[in-house]
Amino acid sequence: MYHELTVWSRGIIMDKEARDVSSCIAAVARAQGLYADNVSDYVDDPDRTNCLVRRYARFGDSPIVDRFVYENPHPDWVVLVEETIIKAVNFLRGTPDGSGVLVVNSARDPEYLLKFLPGPMRAKLARLVVVDAAGLAEPRGSSPWMFVRDLGELAYDRMSTEGAEERLAIGMGIAAPLIGALVAVTGELPLDAVAGQVADRAAMFRGAAGYRVIEFSPAGRTAAPAS
Amino acid sequence: MSVRGTRIPPHLQLPIAGVTPPPTEKEGQRLFPTGNFRFFRPVYRDKTPPCNNACPTGEQIQKYLDFVKHERYLDGYLTIMEDNPMPSVTGRVCYHPCETACNRAEHDEPIGIRSVERFLGDYGLNLPENPIRGTLPPLNGTTIAIVGSGPAGLACAYHLRRRGYPSVIFEALEKPGGMLRAGIPHWHLPGEILDAEIAKLLSLGGIDIRCNVRAGADISWAELRGYPAALLALGQDVGRRLPVEGAQARGVTGGLEFLREAGLGRPVQAGRQVLVIGGGNTASDTARSALRIGGGEATIVSLEAEDELLIVPEDLAQARDEGVAFMPGTSLVRVLTAGGQVTGAVLAGARLARDASGAVRPDLVPGTEREVPCDTIFIAIGQVQQLDWLPGQLADATGVITADEHGRVEGNVFVGGDVLRGPSMVVDALGDGKRAARDIDRLLTNQALAADPEPVIMPYEGLNAAYFRPAARIEAPLSPAAERRRSQHVEVTLAYSEQQAVAEADRCMSCGVCNGCDNCYVVCPDVSVLRDARQNGHYSIRTTYCKGCLVCVQECPTGCLEKVPELDFDDPAEVTRMETAFAPYDGAHAEQSAFTKRLIEETIAAYDAAHQAAVPPGSSSNGKTPPAPDDPPGVTP
Repeated sequence: MYHELTVWSRGIIMDKEARDVSSCIAAVARAQGLYADNVSDYVDDPDRTNCLVRRYARFGDSPIVDRFVYENPHPDWVVLVEETIIKAVNFLRGTPDGSGVLVVNSARDPEYLLKFLPGPMRAKLARLVVVDAAGLAEPRGSSPWMFVRDLGELAYDRMSTEGAEERLAIGMGIAAPLIGALVAVTGELPLDAVAGQVADRAAMFRGAAGYRVIEFSPAGRTAAPAS
Repeated sequence: MSVRGTRIPPHLQLPIAGVTPPPTEKEGQRLFPTGNFRFFRPVYRDKTPPCNNACPTGEQIQKYLDFVKHERYLDGYLTIMEDNPMPSVTGRVCYHPCETACNRAEHDEPIGIRSVERFLGDYGLNLPENPIRGTLPPLNGTTIAIVGSGPAGLACAYHLRRRGYPSVIFEALEKPGGMLRAGIPHWHLPGEILDAEIAKLLSLGGIDIRCNVRAGADISWAELRGYPAALLALGQDVGRRLPVEGAQARGVTGGLEFLREAGLGRPVQAGRQVLVIGGGNTASDTARSALRIGGGEATIVSLEAEDELLIVPEDLAQARDEGVAFMPGTSLVRVLTAGGQVTGAVLAGARLARDASGAVRPDLVPGTEREVPCDTIFIAIGQVQQLDWLPGQLADATGVITADEHGRVEGNVFVGGDVLRGPSMVVDALGDGKRAARDIDRLLTNQALAADPEPVIMPYEGLNAAYFRPAARIEAPLSPAAERRRSQHVEVTLAYSEQQAVAEADRCMSCGVCNGCDNCYVVCPDVSVLRDARQNGHYSIRTTYCKGCLVCVQECPTGCLEKVPELDFDDPAEVTRMETAFAPYDGAHAEQSAFTKRLIEETIAAYDAAHQAAVPPGSSSNGKTPPAPDDPPGVTP
């Protein structure tokens, strides 16, 4: 058993959420006695607002030998913290055909998001999972995001919030439902163990129960409701 | 730190920073595509300014103010003429709902739109040739009947003519103009201006006005129905009677009838002690005309309290300046007479009340009756129309013709103006005429009647108000009160000078409409706003490179730029899946890495070639072993 998780997000304004997802998964895996890695990727210059950034985690039941190739070469779990990334980049590069689990934070219809994926990208998917993490998250102040009310206002964010609330907790806000949906849909890690790692357990469980999924099978795909 | 004069040794002059095109150049934008940074896209979407929305004729006010601002008066005039055939009239008499709606009122003071409109209208009247004439289609021979040559009828004829339809207008009075002539006093709208506007319309050809033809008496309903289509725009010109004792005496007259006789140039009389009963604009016009004709005093007696008067504020202020007196909260109880002639009136304190049917009834205050001497009483408490010549089901008791939501009475017959909506503004009638022409054309060309789509109106909050420095409104100049109250022929409100018109138009904030200010073009930190001409419709966003910082949206003064979620653009063919920027090696990376890599390889190869030529083999100066000649050049990640 071996999984590679790549979390895609945007520089500065939603960096913390991405880091929370990957570090939480790695921490839970390690607590389960598995071998695990968690790396932040600075290649994309995270000091630039909005730019694509990635966070990586990987875990398995055998030692991870390639310690210095931190960019996951074959991600089978991919999380998009912001929905527009679905048409921004090929985030399934290296994913083995038919094995990818793609979790998107969006309030939109999964079918709507699916139409942005060209055939070769669809072929890599086992499941497309859509969770309205912003809607399911616990607002801090008035916002599920870090300092602002909604994505529209976040777009105007001009200040660096990188790490500003790092000390508060791992797995708050948007990250909690995203983690919940990812763990629930993949079934590889126990939800109870995840609950021990995240700060906002209730929101994590809301995410675990509140996602929508399109299953892809070799014969074709079918839509299925939330578990 | 300046690098000028710094000597860089040749072996350190690698090309990465110096040669790679910066993003300010087109090649740099191709190599560093950052469009995938963006999750909101700036989009130019013009909205409807509130002035435009409030104008019943739908005048494109922002557009013509912009033309005036740039001293393009002919373009401004032609813009008005697309919607309103008589800007010299409305520029004088309109109650300007546009100015009431103007967002600038929340900023400092509304734009003096009506005065700019008058400036343009008079500019158009003074042109040696009517510029509309050359733009019209040939007449199509389908003559439309119009009853009434007031603003609704004339506007309908004009807009029909723009569509190629000839029309025949039946006017009951001996001169055309309807209420514009027979209701609005000369000092407000000079007869020669009205004559010139009507002559301008007639010069277009295809509009035939037949005066002294009264609908019902001289032309029947059946005859009207015989036309391919018709508009009923006969107004409401019959003053309501006041059922009080003595109202039949000599010296008691309808205000509307008084204004009509004066407007048609017939001899009229007003005494030196005049009471005008009513609290609306007709009462105000009557009292002010009575001052001018009688030379004495005039008092407006209204059931309405001081703050309930229905007179538009500027007319009220002008009336006060001219010396019109007011008795608000007062009712006429009976008229005192001697020998059949008015000698006075019994008045009483009263409140405005309504009976079960909604009709106004005075609610008298007991014990407040008093006698007031007077020689003339004008009644201006509303108006109706004689509609007994119409089939019964088409008219109601209030002198209004009933119609559907499109203003259609039945078949191809429409109704507009006061006889549709009750006493209302000139510009309402002009709008009705415009819509009737459009709908008649739709019916005759087998199109469906449809309501206008709901506009998106730009609120003040949507503007970037920081860009509009406070600028006081230029009030239209007025004739001195003492001078103007002496004569019917002294126009009260005067025109802007050209300089004033331009300055006032320059105050327009262009709410929701791009006015080519170039701000987006200037503020974009990424050179992602493109344009060929500095003009609305010529700006675009370079979506492959725009990072969605939205500085342009925040800094758009007019609010025509808005942010739209990038994912709302759902055409898969439009998706350009980019690579991440700033990746100097292969893998999950970008086109630019190949470019950079090639540059590095070429430079290293050139360096090595030069180095090997200068240094004997085997004596490496930097400790590195030079590559074997058959090794492929390149870098290994």
